[in-house]
Amino acid sequence: MPTIKIFTKKQCPRCPQAKQLGCELAQGGYSVVSYDVETADGLAEATFFSVQATPTIIVEDADENTLAEFRGQVPSRDEMVKIIGAN
Amino acid sequence: MGSVIDLQTRQKPEKKINETTDLALNVRTSSEDMTGWDRSKIVDALMRETGLDLQTAEEISLDVEAVIKKADIKCITAPLIREIVDSKLIERGLEDARKKHTRLGVPIYDVDQLILHPNKENANVPHGPEATNLTLAEGIKKEYALLRVFSPEIGDAHMRGDIHLHDLGFIDRPYCSGQSLEYIKKFGLSLPNSLSIAKPAKQPEVLLAHMVKFAAALQSHFAGAIGWDAVNLFFAPYLEGRSDREVRQLAQMMIYEFSQQAVARGGQAIFTDINLYWEVPKHFENVPAIGPGGTFTGRTYGDYEKEAQRFVWFLFDVYREGDGTGRPFFFPKPLVHITEKFFRTEGHQEFLEHICDVASEKGATYFVFDRGDTAKISECCRLSFKLNDDDLNDAKEPWKMRFCALQNVTVNLPRIAYKNMGSEEGLFGSLSAMIALAVKAHLEKKRFIENLLDLGETGPLALLTMKTDGQPYIRMHRASYLIGMVGLNEMVKAFTGEELNESKRALKFGLKVISHMNLECQRLSEQHGMHFVLEQTPAESTSYRFARLDLRDYGEIARQYIRGTLDNGETYYTNSTCLPVSSRENPIERVQSEGLFHPIIEAGSITHIWLGESKPSKQSLANFVVKVFRESLNDQIAFSPEFTNCLQCGRTVRGMLDACPYCGSKEIDGITRMTGDLTKISSWNKGKIEELKKRNNNQGFFARTQTGSA
Repeated sequence: MPTIKIFTKKQCPRCPQAKQLGCELAQGGYSVVSYDVETADGLAEATFFSVQATPTIIVEDADENTLAEFRGQVPSRDEMVKIIGAN
Repeated sequence: MGSVIDLQTRQKPEKKINETTDLALNVRTSSEDMTGWDRSKIVDALMRETGLDLQTAEEISLDVEAVIKKADIKCITAPLIREIVDSKLIERGLEDARKKHTRLGVPIYDVDQLILHPNKENANVPHGPEATNLTLAEGIKKEYALLRVFSPEIGDAHMRGDIHLHDLGFIDRPYCSGQSLEYIKKFGLSLPNSLSIAKPAKQPEVLLAHMVKFAAALQSHFAGAIGWDAVNLFFAPYLEGRSDREVRQLAQMMIYEFSQQAVARGGQAIFTDINLYWEVPKHFENVPAIGPGGTFTGRTYGDYEKEAQRFVWFLFDVYREGDGTGRPFFFPKPLVHITEKFFRTEGHQEFLEHICDVASEKGATYFVFDRGDTAKISECCRLSFKLNDDDLNDAKEPWKMRFCALQNVTVNLPRIAYKNMGSEEGLFGSLSAMIALAVKAHLEKKRFIENLLDLGETGPLALLTMKTDGQPYIRMHRASYLIGMVGLNEMVKAFTGEELNESKRALKFGLKVISHMNLECQRLSEQHGMHFVLEQTPAESTSYRFARLDLRDYGEIARQYIRGTLDNGETYYTNSTCLPVSSRENPIERVQSEGLFHPIIEAGSITHIWLGESKPSKQSLANFVVKVFRESLNDQIAFSPEFTNCLQCGRTVRGMLDACPYCGSKEIDGITRMTGDLTKISSWNKGKIEELKKRNNNQGFFARTQTGSA
């Protein structure tokens, strides 16, 4: 199953929207991992993916290949489902 | 008290306190005169220097006098008297007084060694009387720093090798600085203690002279590099109407003036960096230009693009030729900024190939990547000052653009792993504790420098307090405080079992370590209202020192991870966050992997691409540079070829050879880049020479034009 990685921080106007999307997808049974870039774990992961803006959403397949990425923007739930497939 | 006392006792039968024994002594004092034995001088010194009461001081002086008499020696040095006094202080448990009474000095054996043998702590220091002076002064100032400037906690942490306090021998100077030519263009050259004052230059040659003299003055007030921003652009208004021949001559003068003046800090060249642009940087486009005589020309720097380009092109012509024997110039280091605008500026491809040609031929060019809206001044081995909104506002009056880093403190990362094997919580806790120590060291150095600055124009840092433009030259409120790291790779290997380049897991753990350091710096910056920021430590001697100390103190575990040949002391850790020098990644993979760390090391990073004897085509390197800009977040790269310089016939050839191919002499020296700048290999320490042997020179990666000759 693909994994959805969501990178956010506190002072970020669009981050609540990204977090909300993450909650919805998680409730829908998708694998969602949230990263706060103001923690060491979050910043390390963000740095690995060269995240330079929040929110950023990266979708990986089971082999950790990147399927899609949204940097500084939040897609709609439908767009995400289209990428990761119906659950 | 100082020196030799001929000792013949004619002791009085009885003595009372406050009396001195009538010894027939000739005391050679440190003031180069002779005096007789006078016990009261011990009393005076103890009371003055340590605050002891008269009674105790008297008693100690009598004890000392008794020791001297009993020894029945014919002569004695005053330093020895002081040592005897100190031993009596120890016997009485007066440790605080002993510390205050400490004498800083150097054993005569060490002085012999220093005068006869070169210092290998800094590869740029030549061997000569000035270098000896430097080493002796540095030795005393290091001791002074550890005893007087830093608390015992910090001093001990340095001595143990938990952290490294850089440039302790320059304790009374800030670390390094970046500035603008506009300051001397606008105000001329008026330095405290100078015998004459110069008005703003009217000719480019005079401006260059002012620049060199100001750089020399600054170098005597900073421990490290003196960087200059947008040099070709700020010279441009002086070059209009000058022929190509004249401008080329000026370019040649600039490079020779900075590379040949072996005058600073023990006979070194001034550690100079010149920031260069092909385009006019966006933040200078609309800034009124200052021209001859320090007056505004009525135009903006955006109007001087062509003159700036002409000058920078000729600078690289000179770099390509090398010096009189074809050797590469070590200084001034040319740092070319590659920006989005660079690629939109006419002629950029030709210029890129020109500077890549120089990089391939001589290794001189540094490529500094300013992506997006980033703007910065770079200097030293990799340090950069990123311009924030306030700085960009200052750019409207560029003479205000003066930056400094006050100190650099490096954390020994592998040791943290050795102490916390198996406990990630322990490891990150120790890491936080080390950063807190580094911050404490910065606070202590800051306090010391501020005390010196408070002495104003009569103090030792008068130059940095001059207020030519209304504010002190050194802008302490804008200073950076650097925290560096050595041996991330070995730390990660010790903790995860894999090197940074061996798995994604190891790489991510390395990123977590540096992320943690970055966040701690941010947190402590807010707490103290200062700017603590990470920088990749150049580690010219630190990686060797840490490895040596860890081998001594953590031998059983450390010898599994320390690199080099352990039995003969040729040991080192991998620099900062770099991948191992021997790893087999191709250069673009190395640039990308190492570049992952660069955005969270805000005060500067670099990736070295070792070329060995190969000489790639300029097109091949240009393509590589564009790829690095577009496909990585790497901050800065430099290509490092190797050369052999014949000490007999003076010729320089490509590659590390055993003998000169022209005259057959075996009196040769190698030249290549150590950590930040090109240097002679004979001046390297054992650890770095061992590292050199292991470097992956990327043979066969780049399309070559030829190999062999220089």
